[in-house]
Amino acid sequence: MNSEAIKNGARYFIAIAIVAVFVFPIAWFALTSIKPVSAVFNKDRVVVFDFKPTFDNYRVTILGGRKSDTNSSSSILMGTSGEGAYDGRGAIASSLIIAVCSTILATTISLLAAYALSRLNFRGSQGYMHWILSQRFLPPIAIIIPLVFIFRDLGLRDTHFGIIIAHTLINIPIALLILKSFFDDVPKEVDQAAMIDGATRFQCFYMVVLPMVKGGVAATAVLCFIFSWTEFLLSLFLTNSIRTIPVKITTFVTSTGSEWGYISALGTAAIIPGFIFILLVQKHLVRGLTMGAIKD
Amino acid sequence: MSKRALLPRWLTSEHPLPWLFPVTSLLLVFGLYPILYSLWLSFYKRNPATRKETFLPSYNWEKLFADDRVWDAIQITFTYAFVALALQLILGLAIALLLDSDKKGFGVLRALMTLPLVVPPAVTGMMFLLMYDSSFGVISNALYSLNLLSPSAPILGTGSTALWGVIVADTWQWTPFMVLIMLAGLRALPKEPFEAASIDGATAIQSFIHLTLPMMSKIIALAVLIRGIDLFRIFDYVKVMTDSGPGTATETLTAYAGTVYFKSANFPYASTVALGTLILVLLTATLFIKIFKVRF
Repeated sequence: MNSEAIKNGARYFIAIAIVAVFVFPIAWFALTSIKPVSAVFNKDRVVVFDFKPTFDNYRVTILGGRKSDTNSSSSILMGTSGEGAYDGRGAIASSLIIAVCSTILATTISLLAAYALSRLNFRGSQGYMHWILSQRFLPPIAIIIPLVFIFRDLGLRDTHFGIIIAHTLINIPIALLILKSFFDDVPKEVDQAAMIDGATRFQCFYMVVLPMVKGGVAATAVLCFIFSWTEFLLSLFLTNSIRTIPVKITTFVTSTGSEWGYISALGTAAIIPGFIFILLVQKHLVRGLTMGAIKD
Repeated sequence: MSKRALLPRWLTSEHPLPWLFPVTSLLLVFGLYPILYSLWLSFYKRNPATRKETFLPSYNWEKLFADDRVWDAIQITFTYAFVALALQLILGLAIALLLDSDKKGFGVLRALMTLPLVVPPAVTGMMFLLMYDSSFGVISNALYSLNLLSPSAPILGTGSTALWGVIVADTWQWTPFMVLIMLAGLRALPKEPFEAASIDGATAIQSFIHLTLPMMSKIIALAVLIRGIDLFRIFDYVKVMTDSGPGTATETLTAYAGTVYFKSANFPYASTVALGTLILVLLTATLFIKIFKVRF
């Protein structure tokens, strides 16, 4: 074997080892979700593989099965009382509604603004960009306190629409920056040619330029979706009865102990949609994340 | 002429106004107005006994500067942000260099590397709580067997290690983000300078220091800015994993604002702490942008 082959083999081996370290916490979490309680809380043998897999945790958290019907759920942990306390179906529905609507809203209105900032030369466009950017610096905690009062007065508190607005707000700056960088990559001659043919600005945007950046739009939409799907702070403050998945999961930690089976089942299930989306747009995502800092 | 002539110019798609209107109005109503509301709120003194609020503009701001917990929180926030940023930047660049290969198998590894990004941060907190658990946690037990940790001083329950425990969770989640950005940068590098350097007998380390790093400086600055801002706003991990404890060992600025809001319901002072955080983030970010000439 020559030294080149050894070097390549070593590199591949190290790469696998490092990626394994990053995948491990998720794998461990997923493994916990199918363990019977006796295997989760076994402190004498932490690494246990010879258990009988159970899907009771999923049955309760995502299929709405009754906790009392499942035999693996603990008798040592009382946890939150009530049959529906670990039913995550409402949270999954809320998270889906909120993530989908806020993604559509944020992407659509950011597309309009990004096109104008990329194409229409107007006074103050630089200043406007900086203002948008400064919104990205905003710690959500700085607006959350007044937002609670404003939402209460407008009747938006504890509504899906309220969180949709809040997530859209947080997503706008990043969506706008990424979309503008994709628009900037399309030569301006494309617009000029269309307008000579009699298209209005809007027709030019909708029928000519938009189809050329659809990969970028998809990547932006995925980023907005993942942000909304995983967001915790705003959802925590702005709701009481409507619970998104991340907020719902934290209610599984109670003063009498954590229901690790249910936490890991709902948590593992919550990872799947985002991962599928991110794989679909990976090529454009990498390009979009750099926001035009790389011109190729 | 078409019907376009019937409308005033600023209502047609030739003018930026209709394009920017949705984003601007949303940001003004739910972004800028809450900030002003917050500022206005911070001018009131709340009497905890009577729950009455009286107009006393300097009261909360003087209290902010005299509050030892604020200064501690600033120190903890900066420590957290700098350590996590340094770790994530170095690991991100190293892993990107390792995974930047067209050979078979590396594409799958790059895809797997994005997995942590889709985990809701609140769930990440839970995953690490499970692994850090002092009796059945897999990380804790691994450290016990290496004699690096004793069961009497659990990771998150000990003042000197709790912040590290949170930093590890943050680094696990966000190093992949750095890897993605760095990969985009590496992929966009021109080939010729590296070929010339290797003909001139430069080692891999020399060409990394003298070619890769300078050519990547723009993208590195952008990544540091985006990640740095997010690190300053850290809330989810602290809230879920330690709830600022033990004592106030992991109390960051946003966590402190949350504590004032939830535990003492002193909304005016909570707003003041949150606004102070915003000002600090804005100052630091603006300074960074000026020094490193980050452009969007």
